Amino acid sequence: MAKAPKLDSQPQVVTANDLKSGDVVYLTKVASWSRRIADASVVANVEAGAALLAIAEAQAKMNIVVAPYLIPVDASSMPPKPIQYREVIRADGPTTETRPAA
Amino acid sequence: MYQYDQIDQTLVDERVAQFRDQVARRLSGEISEDEFKPLRLQNGLYLQLHAYMLRIAIPYGTLSARQLRGLAQIGCKYDRGWGHFTTRQNLQYNWIRLEDTADALADLAKIQMHAIQTSGNCIRNTTTDQFAGAAYDEIEDPRVWCEIIRQWSTFHPEFSFLPRKFKIAVTGSPNDRAAVRVHDIGLRMHKNATGETGFEVIVGGGLGRTPFIGKTIRDFLPRQDLLSYLEAILRVYNQFGRRDNIYKARIKILVHEIGIDTMREKVEEEFTATKDGALKLPQEAIDQIAAQFAPPAFEKLGGVAAEYANAFRTDFEFGLWARRNTFKHKQPGYSIVTISLKKEGEAPGDAKAEQMTAVADLAERYSFGEIRVTHEQNLVLPHVKQADLPALFRALKAYDLATPNVGLASDIIACPGLDYCALANARSIPVAQQIALRFKNWERAHDIGELKIKISGCINACGHHHVGHIGILGVDKAGEEFYQITLGGSADDQAAIGDLIGPSLNVRDTVEAIDTLVEAYLRLRKSSDERFLDTYRRVGLAPFKEAVYAVA
Repeated sequence: MAKAPKLDSQPQVVTANDLKSGDVVYLTKVASWSRRIADASVVANVEAGAALLAIAEAQAKMNIVVAPYLIPVDASSMPPKPIQYREVIRADGPTTETRPAA
Repeated sequence: MYQYDQIDQTLVDERVAQFRDQVARRLSGEISEDEFKPLRLQNGLYLQLHAYMLRIAIPYGTLSARQLRGLAQIGCKYDRGWGHFTTRQNLQYNWIRLEDTADALADLAKIQMHAIQTSGNCIRNTTTDQFAGAAYDEIEDPRVWCEIIRQWSTFHPEFSFLPRKFKIAVTGSPNDRAAVRVHDIGLRMHKNATGETGFEVIVGGGLGRTPFIGKTIRDFLPRQDLLSYLEAILRVYNQFGRRDNIYKARIKILVHEIGIDTMREKVEEEFTATKDGALKLPQEAIDQIAAQFAPPAFEKLGGVAAEYANAFRTDFEFGLWARRNTFKHKQPGYSIVTISLKKEGEAPGDAKAEQMTAVADLAERYSFGEIRVTHEQNLVLPHVKQADLPALFRALKAYDLATPNVGLASDIIACPGLDYCALANARSIPVAQQIALRFKNWERAHDIGELKIKISGCINACGHHHVGHIGILGVDKAGEEFYQITLGGSADDQAAIGDLIGPSLNVRDTVEAIDTLVEAYLRLRKSSDERFLDTYRRVGLAPFKEAVYAVA
């Protein structure tokens, strides 16, 4: 797995996998989880990122999601776009996908 | 084919019940992810990029039609109507929900299947020659020994928490199709001077971060001592294998660090102390298992079937396919058929549920209900009457399963890569798809001949890139996908680790480079009989390297 870049004061969101389904999810402004990165709460500095992650980790302890972490995004347009290609693939699905949707 | 007895069935059913309870406790929050993870892994359940992935064991790559049909149904019910065949002769479902897993495993248990020994630091599912029990060059059916190993290793209490995972492969033929020299233990059956069949035992092979070709620890091991000797090796490994560093924990590192001679001494010492104990295999136990792999009721056939000869003469496409995708059977009048899961542009090893069902139906009709999975991610119908080959070809074609490319440049091994895998650094499948499309032209592909291209999306080497004639390894270079190319690897009886050709390339240049390497080979080869690998061995790296980096 590629190393995650060090996050500082840049736009970032929290992602995880949903416990029951394994689906990729993003933490929203109302502290719920969405399968769409467009719904993600975007914060722009280290402190806000840490606060967002703390909410997510509390929800991981409540067995809603698994292994939440912060990822950097380009928030200059909507929806925000992950910087790392690993996260682009997580957000958009396999690049080879010719299969019917779930 | 081996059928479960009451002990097997009870064991698998109890395991499903146990896991159902573990999942329920995880969902209710009674156990944490840290507590649950080792439990789910012991049941083949991984959390990948987009979903949970369930890896199903296909012991020694052998399936009945009923099992393959069942796998298709489970793929429809719990996945998205697909299955992915792997380089470990297993099947993976990529879109499983945790809450469905116990039901999926219960459905599997009904067809005598499970996900045991597909993960964790135990002895994994034993692999073998996909042509076992059928190939003309076979000394003995290796599946008998794989099943004996399976019965000994499943839930072996002493070896359930080894320093690292442990993979055993067996070949019953001198022509190794099971890559035995790149496994933790490789077993090669052969006859000694007195005509007795036994095993050459090879230890410490492996791919991954530090690839090694296995070393022979014993030239000839009598059959009845197989389990005692395996147990002796495992004991030495369990005691001396490193647990301080995950990257140095495989037996290959132990063998490398202490040397094969010291390893042999330690194993022999253990073996001498235990060999006449409980693990000595009585002949009747061997016979009992061998009876389950008795050959099917072959017809006595002579000469070349008229249907086959006619189709060969008149149907050009059939001729291409029959030349590439069939292999010589031990029984006159029969052939072994490899069904390519490598249609150019598709994901290697992927099969739709309807394709799996079709193969199951065709196996019942034409191959005594038997199917095999190859470590090269294809399927096999092991016992097809040559007279039936034209009809089988037409039926396969209707399901896009008649691509005539077995062993050719487009028959690529690729791991799931970054499109699915949480460990990957780079994508594998799209690279395989783009390369395969370059070799879609049958005339060029058949002219190039045998060429094994293998792609891994990270250093763990699930795509066996080290032993590809051309190997491709995906790396992350400052946040971008790059690929290292190696040449001259081989997984057969002349096993070799490939040589790195030079600096890594981006996706586009990698695909171009493969084309360039093949063009260089076509210029360099002495004749069309000289395979890519032979040419490489004769001329070395330099002219290939020059060709790639002069252009890049």
